[in-house]
Amino acid sequence: MSSHLTIAVGIFSITYMVIMSEKLHRTVVALFGAVLMLLFSVEGQEQAVHHIDANTIGLLIGMMIIVSILKRTGIFEYLAIRSAKIAEGDPWKILVMLSGITAISSALLDNVTTILLIVPVTLVITDTMKINPIPFIITETMMSNIGGTATLIGDPPNIMIGSAVGLSFLDFVINLAPVVVVVFFVNLFILKVIYKTKMLANADQKHAVMSLDEKLAINDVPLLKKGGLVMAITIAGFMLHAQLGYESATIALFGASLFLLISKIDPEEILLEIEWTTIFFFAALFILVGALEDVGVIEFLAEKMVELTQGDIATSSVVILFGSSVASAFLDNIPFVATMIPLLQNFGLQTGGNIDVLWWSLALGACLGGNGTLVGASANVIASGIVEKHGKRLSFMEYFKVGFPLMLVSVCIAYGYIVIRYL
Amino acid sequence: MRKYLNAEIMQQSMKLKQMGADVTVINSKLCYITFDLSGFKVSYVYNVNKKNKYFLERIKPYPLPLREFDNEDDVIEIINIDLDQFRNAIKSHNIDSFITIARKLDSVFHKFEDLFLYYNLPEEETKRLYDEILEMEKDIERIKETSDRICYDKDPEYLK
Repeated sequence: MSSHLTIAVGIFSITYMVIMSEKLHRTVVALFGAVLMLLFSVEGQEQAVHHIDANTIGLLIGMMIIVSILKRTGIFEYLAIRSAKIAEGDPWKILVMLSGITAISSALLDNVTTILLIVPVTLVITDTMKINPIPFIITETMMSNIGGTATLIGDPPNIMIGSAVGLSFLDFVINLAPVVVVVFFVNLFILKVIYKTKMLANADQKHAVMSLDEKLAINDVPLLKKGGLVMAITIAGFMLHAQLGYESATIALFGASLFLLISKIDPEEILLEIEWTTIFFFAALFILVGALEDVGVIEFLAEKMVELTQGDIATSSVVILFGSSVASAFLDNIPFVATMIPLLQNFGLQTGGNIDVLWWSLALGACLGGNGTLVGASANVIASGIVEKHGKRLSFMEYFKVGFPLMLVSVCIAYGYIVIRYL
Repeated sequence: MRKYLNAEIMQQSMKLKQMGADVTVINSKLCYITFDLSGFKVSYVYNVNKKNKYFLERIKPYPLPLREFDNEDDVIEIINIDLDQFRNAIKSHNIDSFITIARKLDSVFHKFEDLFLYYNLPEEETKRLYDEILEMEKDIERIKETSDRICYDKDPEYLK
């Protein structure tokens, strides 16, 4: 057992460090680490598969299928053009509208997907107006991380927490959405102070965007109607899944299969669009963390945490909120949260009290922390990649100067909210 | 990579739709094929899509759109014949002139296109260019009649 312990800690630590170094693809590293756990008999294959959380995987796949079909309708292009026209070509007003769309979309879809849909259409708007896209991209990236914090399905850490702890979609909305709304508006206000004077457009630039026709953006009206129906059913299902006794993945997979059925699109085309590298990354992480649990490392760390905080929920909550936000600002928050979940579960078992506030602290810290740096969340990395492919550059420092202070403001608001509401 | 490609396609199709285009995005595979015939490079690209259509194009030694095919065997057959013709051609002492003329024709075509699209041509000049092309075509037909045929794998497509 002690040799298994050493091997498990060794494999996990090396895997974690290589993932964080970003020298190799994180999925390949995580898969290799997970398979090493099997090769060194830290855990058996059946046991490893048992550690993979089917609810998280199912929820991710279900939502990816829905989005793959939905994006074919052209709805995001339509919304972007419509927003720009409602804003009458005023860049700041366009940014406010797009921020709202991003935050709401991100609450209902995952952040990376939202960024992949909103950034390309934003670039078309900024190209049309011949204005600098960087303030738009930074703001949208931050709003996607903020919006994603509000719901169970908005950000992968929330999906993992909800699934592991049995928290419902409504639990997340009731506990996190109020503070997310405050964080959204405070961030928007500060961004206004930073960018407002830099976002100007002359009459020609405004005319260029006003001449866009949003109706041309819609590819398939019947598919759009079906998509609206499926999204309505899926969101209603998420609202009621706990009362109905279904897991959130069941709802997402129902929505996905219903959409596949009524859209009549070749399923091969849609399944090809699923981000399989993300799915395999999650599966491998579950195996890696499961191995640590099996050899008793997580229990040991939980004991240490109880010792350090003396089992005090208020202290633990502050440590988790600020600790996870700083960690998530620099590290991938998915493996971080995957490790923290069993740790907090063990902490709860050892202290014996209600630790719900710790889950909200972890969710707020891990999700909002992603705004701290350009590498803090996958959505940030993807946004900067799209911008770079577009011939512009969003540097680490340019993002950091705006993102890190705003992240600290957001986490302080979250801290105030936790103190007022739970402690 | 796929994510970035999809993001690029989304931007392009949004711009194209604003220009009035009907954009259909098809998942397909692009095959890039290169043969080295004793230092003489012959390259093709072909695109295979889910509707079982194959779009083959020669890109080296000079570009030539070769057309659409219904099945893989036809693509391989056409490449095989084309390649055989180049194998024969490179043995000829005329190969360098042939490549030079082919590239020149390609360049002349693009210049003519620019001339037509960027300038308002006098009618008599257009007619003169056309007559010169007809003259060249007649020359090709005449030379064909007086030259030995060397390839019998299939009949020429344009030179009947």
